[in-house]
Amino acid sequence: MIGLAVLVILILLGTVGPFLLGDPYYMDLSLMGRPPSFAHILGTTSFGEDVFTQLCSAIGNSLVVGLVAGGLGTLIAILVGAVGPYRGGLADKISSLATNLALVLPLIPLFIIIASVVRGLNLVLIGVILAVTSWPWAARSIRSQVLTLKEREFVNLARMSGQNSVQIVVTEVLPNMLAYIMMVFVILTGTSILAESALSMIGVSTTRTITLGYMLYWAQHETTVPFWWNIWWWFIPPGIVLTALLTAIFVIHAGMDEVFNPRLREI
Amino acid sequence: MKRVTNSPEKNENSSPPVEENRFLTRMFSKLRSLLTNSFARFLATKAGFYLVVVFLSLVLVFFIIESMPGDPVAVMLASGNPPPGADIEALAARMREYFGLDKPILERFFIFFGNFFSWNLGPSYHFYPVQVSTIVLYYLPYTLSLAIPVLLVSFFVGNWVGARAAYMRGKLNETSYFILVFCNQLPPFWLGLVIIFIYILLFHGIPPIGAATLGVIPSLSVSYFFELLAHWILPFLTLLIVYVGAWATGMRSMVTHEMDSGYVRYGEQLGFKKSKLMSYAQRNAILPQFTGLNMVFNGIVGQTLIIEIVFGWPGLGLLLYNAVFNYDYPLIFGCFLVIIVIIVIGNFLIDVLYGFIDPRMRTGRG
Repeated sequence: MIGLAVLVILILLGTVGPFLLGDPYYMDLSLMGRPPSFAHILGTTSFGEDVFTQLCSAIGNSLVVGLVAGGLGTLIAILVGAVGPYRGGLADKISSLATNLALVLPLIPLFIIIASVVRGLNLVLIGVILAVTSWPWAARSIRSQVLTLKEREFVNLARMSGQNSVQIVVTEVLPNMLAYIMMVFVILTGTSILAESALSMIGVSTTRTITLGYMLYWAQHETTVPFWWNIWWWFIPPGIVLTALLTAIFVIHAGMDEVFNPRLREI
Repeated sequence: MKRVTNSPEKNENSSPPVEENRFLTRMFSKLRSLLTNSFARFLATKAGFYLVVVFLSLVLVFFIIESMPGDPVAVMLASGNPPPGADIEALAARMREYFGLDKPILERFFIFFGNFFSWNLGPSYHFYPVQVSTIVLYYLPYTLSLAIPVLLVSFFVGNWVGARAAYMRGKLNETSYFILVFCNQLPPFWLGLVIIFIYILLFHGIPPIGAATLGVIPSLSVSYFFELLAHWILPFLTLLIVYVGAWATGMRSMVTHEMDSGYVRYGEQLGFKKSKLMSYAQRNAILPQFTGLNMVFNGIVGQTLIIEIVFGWPGLGLLLYNAVFNYDYPLIFGCFLVIIVIIVIGNFLIDVLYGFIDPRMRTGRG
């Protein structure tokens, strides 16, 4: 419940905040690197931008990346994890081999290299790249779920009544896994937000659109005051928000696990 | 009566070498049965699989690197200082020819992989005359010195902390769980910044960034070792906090689950000591933790690379990062090669470990 509340507050900040607070890129050069005050709740950056305004649109943009990556990653995971083992035979072998191969690949160096290749990165593109690189474990867990589900009687009944395997997967197997798929989606969203922040913090992701990692990147690299740690109100808030977001996602996932797992076992 | 019971005991005491011999032969036969049964086959398929992973990912990375926009020769020329009046065009053409950048991509692919199999990755573009293999092997120990201690220490500390958290009662249980989840969800790269910030608040000095203070010459002395240690401890702590949280949350839920199970209840009713039951529960709870070792190892290597960039620790992450910005194709490839070899060797060792821990793996049943 607390997790959901935190998440809702953050989503509200991310969606409504940017409309109320105005342009996050607006620089007031007379207010460079001011500490928190009433006019600027979280102070200003060393360019005179309002940290709170930036934070709100950063939350929104980070959530967009997370949702794109989470959604697309879940789709890929379902395609590889559910359809493959159901068909059996060669398709199963190929899909499980691909999953195991991709599971070993080190994602972060791979992403650093890919991000340096792709020019004109925007939020959606980053989401797609993250989705393409982060699906393997989800596919593996969906696969194991499908393998247990496909032995159930209602699936056999559907097969006897003459449905083809794609139909069976779509109408019989997947609806029973909806809760599980939701959990996979939630986790993938969280990890994608974390990964995007890590990469944009070291400066290989987008450096034009504000995300939480982007704020950390500029807080470290562009300070008119010597040393970034003197403007603590710039780099502390994005991290706190990120931690709160990830903790909320984790708590929601744990709650879903408690609610849905007994049902899944009973089927 | 007494004499009769005493005699075999005495016999055993008087001949320890026989006992040791029997122990050795037992171990030897155990080892032999290990190697001849399906466990060996299991390991062989795993090894083959990992070789395929390395090769395919290297091919993938080669083509990704080759499709990088931008011209490495232009970057090299811009970073250098050509003599006045030099013919830049001719210079660039000569460099292209020298590094083989003028050939079509497929031809370069075959040349490159031909050289690769004789462990010749060619010279780096940025650090020109130095071979990539030399650079990469120089940076490798720094990464390993972070990743391996973090993995081992966090595994033991995290499981210990997690088990203790599971035994706590009432409000303490909830709070400790929340703290562990929070530690687990802290983004390491940001935690690194916060730790540097706290260091400055406490000591009012320049934080230990890099591998040693500027101007200190590397040597094999005790003082240099302490210098390294002082710079190593902050990134180590950063990663440790996050991964202790990760292990402890898993261990806590496993131990809680075990303490609820039938055999612990039964033992309680039989009047077993609490510590005995706890040790049983822990023994059973730790096995699933080992299966998470693969994923966490991959995660730790990845996070180490980013933490290195934050703390300026001269490991492979920093090297890869700089190589990407310098368009240093052979060096990017070399870094990725070493990283994936670390991951594959680590995963293989963990697979072997499973075999020793879980007998079902060893016999191929289950």
